[in-house]
Amino acid sequence: MSLSVVAMLLGMIGLVMLNVPIAVALGVVAVGAIWIMQGATMLPNVALVMYDGATSFPLLAVPLFVLAGGIMNASSIARRLINLATAILGFVRGGLSMVTVGSAMFFAEISGSAVADVAALGTLLIPAMKSRGYSKEFAAAVTSSSASLAIIIPPSIPMILYAAMAQESAVKIFVAGIIPGALGGIGLMALCYYYARKYDFPVEQRFNLCNLAKAAREAIWALVMPLIILGGIFGGFVTATEGAALAVIAALVIGVVIYRDLTVKALYQACVDSAIQTAVVMLLVAASALVGIFLTESQLPQKLAASILDVTTNPYFVLLILNVFFLIIGMFLHSAAAIILTVPIVLPLIHQVHIDPVHFGLILTLNLAIGQQTPPVASVLIASCSIAKADIWQVTKANLGFVGVLVGVLALCTYVPWLSLVLIHAFYGS
Amino acid sequence: MPGLVPGIHAFLLVKQARRGWPGQPGHDDTFCAANLSDDTDSMTTIRQIYDRVLEAIAVIMIVTVTGIVTVGFVYRGLGESLAWYDEVASVALVWLTYYAGALAALRGAHIGFAGFVNSLPAQWRVAAAAFSSAVTIFFFGLLTVVGIKVVGILGTDTLVSLPWVPLQLTESVIPIAGALFVIAEVLRLPELLAEAKRGPLADHELASALEHAKDTASLSGAKEIKP
Repeated sequence: MSLSVVAMLLGMIGLVMLNVPIAVALGVVAVGAIWIMQGATMLPNVALVMYDGATSFPLLAVPLFVLAGGIMNASSIARRLINLATAILGFVRGGLSMVTVGSAMFFAEISGSAVADVAALGTLLIPAMKSRGYSKEFAAAVTSSSASLAIIIPPSIPMILYAAMAQESAVKIFVAGIIPGALGGIGLMALCYYYARKYDFPVEQRFNLCNLAKAAREAIWALVMPLIILGGIFGGFVTATEGAALAVIAALVIGVVIYRDLTVKALYQACVDSAIQTAVVMLLVAASALVGIFLTESQLPQKLAASILDVTTNPYFVLLILNVFFLIIGMFLHSAAAIILTVPIVLPLIHQVHIDPVHFGLILTLNLAIGQQTPPVASVLIASCSIAKADIWQVTKANLGFVGVLVGVLALCTYVPWLSLVLIHAFYGS
Repeated sequence: MPGLVPGIHAFLLVKQARRGWPGQPGHDDTFCAANLSDDTDSMTTIRQIYDRVLEAIAVIMIVTVTGIVTVGFVYRGLGESLAWYDEVASVALVWLTYYAGALAALRGAHIGFAGFVNSLPAQWRVAAAAFSSAVTIFFFGLLTVVGIKVVGILGTDTLVSLPWVPLQLTESVIPIAGALFVIAEVLRLPELLAEAKRGPLADHELASALEHAKDTASLSGAKEIKP
């Protein structure tokens, strides 16, 4: 590795440690490198690259899905979904914790943001669990892990980001997440049931078909909307970006016309939040384009691939190394930043050992979902702890079993690629 | 007048520095507290107005992006794809990125890693916060300067699909937004330093999500899900 690349890496790590925004840290390091290596006359290139870097057409889906999720969050959809999940699962011992998992899986399809999910669901479900005798640590842990599962169930912003960075189809990566997402949901529910038997958690209500029909009627639009949107995307009728626009329109129609609980103030706020969330991610994408110039010139990704291939060419061993790497990265970096910074570096390695990039995208996303549960940077876990008013380390202890389930799903998906690829082969051929 | 607000702030900082910082030997805390309170109030007002203006621009941009994609989708559905759709939608995304990015900077929402800085003693946290702000101001200041040069160089170039739209207009977002970022960072600095002095720096995404969740819970009637 050349001295200039080492200096860039150290400079970037130093700036990030001093809480300089990661996008700015990337930009400053790249400016320094241009100045030293090419001279000040080349600095206008910084403006050109920062502009071109943000013109990614596939990433247009990001603001639209985030906006659709924001509009849904601002309406009564969370309550309706929770009522439905309670009607379905409330008769099982520990049903309320399973309701949390089930609601997160429904909600995942709409929101696309794990922190937003945990805030929207946790505010309703954590107090309910506490009042029914669940410990606050358990309530926070199950809510947090369930919300993290959201990022592997489509539509998922990290998946869209990965698709753009790896130049893969976002739709295929969405499809790859369906079976692992369902497996994760079943695993979390099974663990909830085990804890319910062990700690004698209560049954919420007897199973009642009338209650179920009423709850289903109230939540029907919340259920139908993702089906139409994802059906349109998976069926090839609309692109991921168009599906996202469709989601915004559907969310508006449901909030304003059908449920009639979306206020102008809430809509305005959803627009502001979505714009900010998009800008934060896209600025990172633009700044990473600056660093990308040097990655290409220094051939760092190719050199990294070569040095790992010197050790092993076994794709499963390479995936093991990458899993450990991403689990560590996920402990310190926001998922968007982790994807933007690492995907261009590891992608040549993935291609050289013939790992399917769609399969790898799912593995990466699962790693980052687990990373959201591991301090120090664990935005989803911290959100859950804030709502439950519980100590983060106590919740982390209670969360070990749930994280274990997610790690189990990760191991399964890593070593059984069929799980993530079978639906893609079924829908799109091999 | 992009230079006005940083100018005001620099003036206030110089005034404050002349009086001495609270806690310094010989510092008149009472006198300074009264004057600083006025200064802080005016800064807060300017910041609030600036926040509202950027907020409005961000909303316009996200509505525009949604509108363009929807129109493009409808026309494609009707079998008459719009030639300018991809190019204009991409430009709108860039504008959304930078104008809403300035708002994100004003609210301290850009992704960073505060873990190490939060573990430091107060005076080091304040120093790190000031350094972080200075680096951000330097970067976007530079982006403004080189952005102006690039816009000048572009001359008569236009969009490919809409030849009547000059690239000078589309790429003007870089110098303009660069200046907006600098203003945002300068306006946020007093609050950032105060926050760093008080304790660990907050996570914006988390705070914002929890705030909205509370509103939504009250709107939805949280009692209804209680078993």
